[in-house]
Amino acid sequence: MFSFTKEQKVYDISGVSIGGQPGMYPTVLFGGVFFKGEPDFEDAKKHLRVMLELSTRTGTPTIPDFFIRKVEYIDPIISFIEKNLPHKHPFSVDIIEPTIKIETLQTLAEKKLLFRTIYNSIHVGITREEQESLKKFTPEMVIVVAFNPKDSSPDGKIEVLENGAHLTERGLLDIARGIGFEKILIDTAALAPGENSGAALAAIPVIKEEYGLPTGCAIHNVVEKSKWLNDYPFAKKTVDVASNCSIPLFGGDYALFGPVQNAELVVPLIAWQDILVSEYTENYFGICPVAFHPRRKLLK
Amino acid sequence: MIGSYPVSIDTQQVMNSYFQEQEVSWENYIEQAVQGMVDAGICLVSDGQTRDPFIQLFTRHLGGCRIRDRTEIVGHVEYHGPITVADQLFVRRLLPRRTSLIGVLTGPFTLTKSSVDLFYHDEKQLCFDFAAALRKEAEQLQKHVDVISIDEPFFSNQLPEYAADLIKTITHHLSCPTRLHVCGDVSRIVPQLGEMPVNILSHEFKASPFLLDVFHEHPCSKKICLGSVRSDDVRIEPVEEIVRHIQKAQEIFGEAIVQIAPDCGQRLLPQDVAFQKLSNLVVAGDIMNGR
Repeated sequence: MFSFTKEQKVYDISGVSIGGQPGMYPTVLFGGVFFKGEPDFEDAKKHLRVMLELSTRTGTPTIPDFFIRKVEYIDPIISFIEKNLPHKHPFSVDIIEPTIKIETLQTLAEKKLLFRTIYNSIHVGITREEQESLKKFTPEMVIVVAFNPKDSSPDGKIEVLENGAHLTERGLLDIARGIGFEKILIDTAALAPGENSGAALAAIPVIKEEYGLPTGCAIHNVVEKSKWLNDYPFAKKTVDVASNCSIPLFGGDYALFGPVQNAELVVPLIAWQDILVSEYTENYFGICPVAFHPRRKLLK
Repeated sequence: MIGSYPVSIDTQQVMNSYFQEQEVSWENYIEQAVQGMVDAGICLVSDGQTRDPFIQLFTRHLGGCRIRDRTEIVGHVEYHGPITVADQLFVRRLLPRRTSLIGVLTGPFTLTKSSVDLFYHDEKQLCFDFAAALRKEAEQLQKHVDVISIDEPFFSNQLPEYAADLIKTITHHLSCPTRLHVCGDVSRIVPQLGEMPVNILSHEFKASPFLLDVFHEHPCSKKICLGSVRSDDVRIEPVEEIVRHIQKAQEIFGEAIVQIAPDCGQRLLPQDVAFQKLSNLVVAGDIMNGR
């Protein structure tokens, strides 16, 4: 378990705090919504309710991560967010296509939702138009994906943050700050087995010690990419859920844990893991958990 | 070619591969560069050095080096296996039959001067460890390329007294011809360059035409790669201007001119400008050769 010599930033978005020394704030969980196919709003409503209830009970903060795959999904998904998420609850928008990103930003601005929005994400594929749009409509928080196609090691991830690995004009952190983002989360970019998959975890303490920024990743993606696990379907589900434990164990601040449907398994698991981390870091490093930490909430 | 050729990297495509959980392939960028050089009519083609700037191209793969903002030396520099060989093999498959291939190594002094040394605190030792690693790469490369070029731009700023030994560490008993490329103003070190253990000297004679006078004052027995179009200027030199430049150089070097080339790598030029410069260079070469 870790404690960092570098001052650790804690960023708040609509009452959810992310970052800090391990053991201080609970791990924040992002649950994916509408990852595949047509958005199923009724199903999403049901699972979001479960996730948020679990959050209230355990003290583990959860944030829905809305995938927007097509332009025609923008309006209905944003309307869904307005109507079905608790007032002021933060959410992230997870979009790949730059044109959809730009249109979504405009809609979020019109609906006055940017103060609750986490932009997922900035990476080496950022376009000039996207940067201009982000300067105009700047969400409260951003996830910067430290994917370096030239070097998957923790150092390679720092390289892309520092200078874009010579694929972008400037480093990704410079780009994010130049846009006007003050609250930056780093995603250590989990890769498939065989492509240095462990580096996404190893990079968490390295990046936190280097920058003090809140750091995490979607480590469960490595499980999805472990094709051999398809022969063990029961174990695969367990491994997928359990993989998220590695993030707080490596000092990380948040996990993109996969589909929101997994919340019932992941939220208590991470609450349990956070309690372990907190007990040790308070005993050894003197880091006190905040009042709403699962350790305070669940251990009476 | 000296080394690099500009290509446009589609970073969105790179990220799409990441999101679709596919490995990012670089071969299309190498192919793009090679096609540009071949289409321009170049007869000694490089791999375009598309993967990285010329420092990181090597330090990314050497033990003891880590790359963050710059290359940092954090342990003994060690060779862990072929660095550029796979790309050269790929390029060879793309080349027409009569087109030759040049393997380019970034020189040990330039690698040293471009790195932040957190380990050796002994510049000479670091240089020689880089040279030993590059020697191993050269041994691999010589089986697959027609010429090996060593790129040492930092020699024009400072020529260490052990410079020739460094280069010899890499070149001795190699089976293919070798070239030393030093861009910048080399006027102060021309006599020493004449003693370097390589077959060909390559300099930026177009950006620094006064070098012709210096070489005239200090004749050397090396063959010459004549920089004939600038790599730091987007102006495209007309064919007649290049021909005049070569003719002037011939008055000094005579038959020793065995290659005409850009002054330096073309990485920083726009693609269309780099291509047109190469095309004009080829036409000028044809005129000089009576074709």
